[in-house]
Amino acid sequence: MEIEKKFGVYLCKGCGIAEAVKFESLIKVIKKEGKIQHIQEHDILCSPEGLAMINQDIAQEGINCLVIAACSPRVKYEEFDFPNVMVERCNIREQVAWTQDPASEETQALAEDYLRMSCARVKKTDLPEPYETECDKTILVIGGGTAGLSAALQAANNGYQVVLVEKEAQLGGFAARMYRQTPSSYPYTTLQEPVVFKQIQEVLNHPKIKVMTAATLEKLDGQPGLLDADISVGGDVETLRVGTVVLAAGWKPYDATKLVKLGYGLSKDVITNIEMEEMAKAGKIVRPSDGKAPEAVAFIQCAGSRDPDHLPYCSDFCCTAALKQALYVRERNPNAIAYLLYKDIRTPGQTELFYKQVQSDPGVMLTKAEIAEVSLGDGGKLRINATDTLLGANVIFEADLVVLATGMVPATADEPVLNLGYRQGPNLPDLELFNGFADSNFICFPYETRRTGIYAAGCVHQPMNMAMAVEDGVGAACKAIQAAEHVAAGMAVHPRAWDETFPDPFMQRCTSCKRCTEECPFGAIEEDEKGTPFFKINRCRRCATCMGACPERIVFFKDLNVDIMGSAIKAVDVPELEDEDDPNFVVRIIGLICENDALPALDAAAVHRLKINPAIRFLTLRCMGSFAMEWIKIALNNGVDGMILLGCKYGDDYQCHFAKGSELCAYRLTKLSETLDKLGLEADRVQQFQIAISEFDKLPQVLDDFVARVREIGPNPFKGL
Amino acid sequence: MAGEILIKPDLQFVKRVMAAGGDTVKKCYQCDTCSVVCNLTPDEKPFPRKEMLQAQWGLKEVLSAPDIWLCHQCSDCTVYCPRGANPGEVLGVLRQMAIEKYATPPLLAKAVGDPKFLPLLIAFPMLLLLFLLKIMGGMGIKVGENLVHQGIAIPEGKIIFAKLFPTLAVDFIFVPAFFFAVAVLGKGVLAFWQDINAPHPWRVKVEGNLVCNLIATLKDILFHNRFRTCETTYTRATNHLFLVFGFIFLLIVTTWGFINEWVLHHDPPYFLLSPIKLLAMAGTASLLYGIWNLIKERQANAEKAGYGSYYDWFLIYVIFVVGATGLLAWLFRLMHLQILAYPTYFLHLTAVFMLFFYAPYTKLAHFVYRTAAMLHARMSGRGF
Repeated sequence: MEIEKKFGVYLCKGCGIAEAVKFESLIKVIKKEGKIQHIQEHDILCSPEGLAMINQDIAQEGINCLVIAACSPRVKYEEFDFPNVMVERCNIREQVAWTQDPASEETQALAEDYLRMSCARVKKTDLPEPYETECDKTILVIGGGTAGLSAALQAANNGYQVVLVEKEAQLGGFAARMYRQTPSSYPYTTLQEPVVFKQIQEVLNHPKIKVMTAATLEKLDGQPGLLDADISVGGDVETLRVGTVVLAAGWKPYDATKLVKLGYGLSKDVITNIEMEEMAKAGKIVRPSDGKAPEAVAFIQCAGSRDPDHLPYCSDFCCTAALKQALYVRERNPNAIAYLLYKDIRTPGQTELFYKQVQSDPGVMLTKAEIAEVSLGDGGKLRINATDTLLGANVIFEADLVVLATGMVPATADEPVLNLGYRQGPNLPDLELFNGFADSNFICFPYETRRTGIYAAGCVHQPMNMAMAVEDGVGAACKAIQAAEHVAAGMAVHPRAWDETFPDPFMQRCTSCKRCTEECPFGAIEEDEKGTPFFKINRCRRCATCMGACPERIVFFKDLNVDIMGSAIKAVDVPELEDEDDPNFVVRIIGLICENDALPALDAAAVHRLKINPAIRFLTLRCMGSFAMEWIKIALNNGVDGMILLGCKYGDDYQCHFAKGSELCAYRLTKLSETLDKLGLEADRVQQFQIAISEFDKLPQVLDDFVARVREIGPNPFKGL
Repeated sequence: MAGEILIKPDLQFVKRVMAAGGDTVKKCYQCDTCSVVCNLTPDEKPFPRKEMLQAQWGLKEVLSAPDIWLCHQCSDCTVYCPRGANPGEVLGVLRQMAIEKYATPPLLAKAVGDPKFLPLLIAFPMLLLLFLLKIMGGMGIKVGENLVHQGIAIPEGKIIFAKLFPTLAVDFIFVPAFFFAVAVLGKGVLAFWQDINAPHPWRVKVEGNLVCNLIATLKDILFHNRFRTCETTYTRATNHLFLVFGFIFLLIVTTWGFINEWVLHHDPPYFLLSPIKLLAMAGTASLLYGIWNLIKERQANAEKAGYGSYYDWFLIYVIFVVGATGLLAWLFRLMHLQILAYPTYFLHLTAVFMLFFYAPYTKLAHFVYRTAAMLHARMSGRGF
């Protein structure tokens, strides 16, 4: 139902705004050009009195579309939140009052432009109506190891139904196969019985957890809240409806047969850390070749780990495991010696205390060493040639038993555990960036994957020890719960977790070019049999990359589409050129900035009272991925001299909150220079820069340099046409 | 591969180091902070990091390493060690074990380091002295104008210590004891010198004139030039200097007394203000001042620098008792307190015997081994 829009502009005079701009001419601009007649001023708009004034207008005047001309949208968002009312934040504090010379002509022009832009936007914006579906909130946990059990218990104890799928016949994963566990509580000095069995009992007895063992996930299809999981138990496939997923599929040991240099296969007495654990669990530690108890056991650390030829990463647990197994050796034979030959001892967190404890054992000998070769020595012994040790450049150790600390290979490295029925493929994207781990560069946001509603925990996520896996399970379960609740309420999940808008394409004009389905970082767009794209909204993170991708410009959000942004750009007042050869002509530039990096960086610059070039009018985007080429055309037609795009860092260590946006934008811009050339315009007029959130101090220089470059090129020849 | 070394750890050796006061040795994780903060170590192949590693790996050759002697245990390393491995204390234990290794018989060195044997070590000189008194009493030796030695009894009349132990008797015991100690120490230091110059992977070659370098090294030692670069226990160097000069003064006094007795035939006791007496007083004062402050300093710094092992304290107390009984015997004599003067003198002789006779086995032996090590360091161009 269309409600009649009633607009109101609220101007705040606080925080130095009144000292920086003249309100009379501002009000004139709003009335004449912004075409909004209801204008109120207040000394401190966010104060109870200021808010009461707004609430009174909403109640009595029926105002339902507000422009709040005050501070950055990144602050005071709770104060300026009015139910069922459109709010457009016009940032004249950070972007004008705090970063410009007070009361200058350019400052006034900038503030007036920001009001023009906001008025133009608010006119075209509609109130969002959340996308609500009948959602299931069951949490599917894949993997019954330490992390999976922890996630299942966390979700179930918070009242959610859980389905736990384990491919082995027994729960517990590697933890259940251990002889002893490294200490998990202060003083972290004595080995303990594996605690996983208690966890298993708790899970098996929990009324809210459905445990499926010897089961595999054949297919996972649909969207968060409405996922269909085909689970096969002994060939019988059962389809279960679930809401969100915790992926805790764990790891497997690196294939030791590839470690020929370290003697694996050369002698039966060269074993892996897993084999050592099994031997200890079976009750005795002996040489597999002759069954004798070893007098000297050499633990070779980083066997294939931190090695570019094998696993380039640290597997995290092996150092602690070797320390633990050194104790096994020492406990069984007080005259035995355990050598630990390491690259570095890495004992994360409190395991450092355990390291100290084991180190104090007289029979545990530690040294840094690069292992050159393991060969057969005299008398059935193994000979270890090492270089770069603390004991000397080239040394030899003799041992009766060699234990190789083989590292972790995530379950997702070789097989698509999730078996997603997504157009973009059955596996998680970006696995190759993280050596097969289901990790992500969603900075500051662990557990995230690029498949909405699917959160990774435990060793499939990152190499970690059991204590960390327990925590990881808890964290991922919390994220899964959050996602289940958000999709049920029709809201986006991280990083726009408040957002109730969603992409609503005007399908009649779709040409099925599939650019959106290709570019969506989250695989939210599928295709029907005819190849026509359609959205799985609950997978969508609202980055609007599809909007930027669509050549037909048919993707609409209630508060964002190509036209809304275009109107804002058009609203900028570009002064007429008086003298074409005047090098000091008035420059006007549109700055498109990403809301997650460039905007906070600009705010930080403002807090530090850095001067920002007054020629630039900033417009905030959800993501650079939503950048539409159309806007360049609009801007240049409007006489703007240039356009600067401030996106985040991209590449392997991308900082994009939507994984690919900044990179996609850069890719689109490569196509632009041709177009500009055709128009007889210089490609340099439109440039993208990568700005990290922390680089606020560099911003003024970047902006000044760009403005100077545009000034050098000269005024936009279309100005005034 | 060239220059390969087969590493043969000795678990029993590690356990012995740990039992002898180096219980922290395994805590070392080889960060090398110790060598960085040490003001004494040469820049090339610095200590004590490598010695800590050799000790925790049970590589016994560390006992022949000259570098354990270059350490003066000022404890800078112990203070800065992030792991509480107390390298200063551990090197002290290694030196103790090195003394044991080079001593003949090593068993005696073991006894010196073990509190169980303390009564035996005290009883030996006491019984020896008592035995001497006993037989002298039976022999009717003349010890004064009208006095015959009375055996195990306090002599009458004016206090003259020669009435109890005639000079000849003292010399009869102490001269052989002294030469025994010199012989054992000499044997030990020669073996040590051979070991540090033997071909092994860590050897550094020595060059230059032995005598000239020895004189230079002794000069260094006499003025404690290296010891005084220590920071944490800086005062220890000063107190040690007092102690050393106390010993030197008393050595001069003893030699002088020996010459008086056998060449010039002057019998003690001497006139109170005679030069020899004044020097003796200065020596005793210096020795007592030094040892007293060393004790206080050790107690005050125990928390950061370590309290030291029983082996350390054995020597400290023997020196203290030597000085204290010497002073008291003299005072009691001046006060005419026969009942106190003679027994104190007896104790004094016991303590002096322990100091000399046990010298190759106690920490006192450090002066020969450390001198040899410093000489070696100087001659091998390691900045000494």
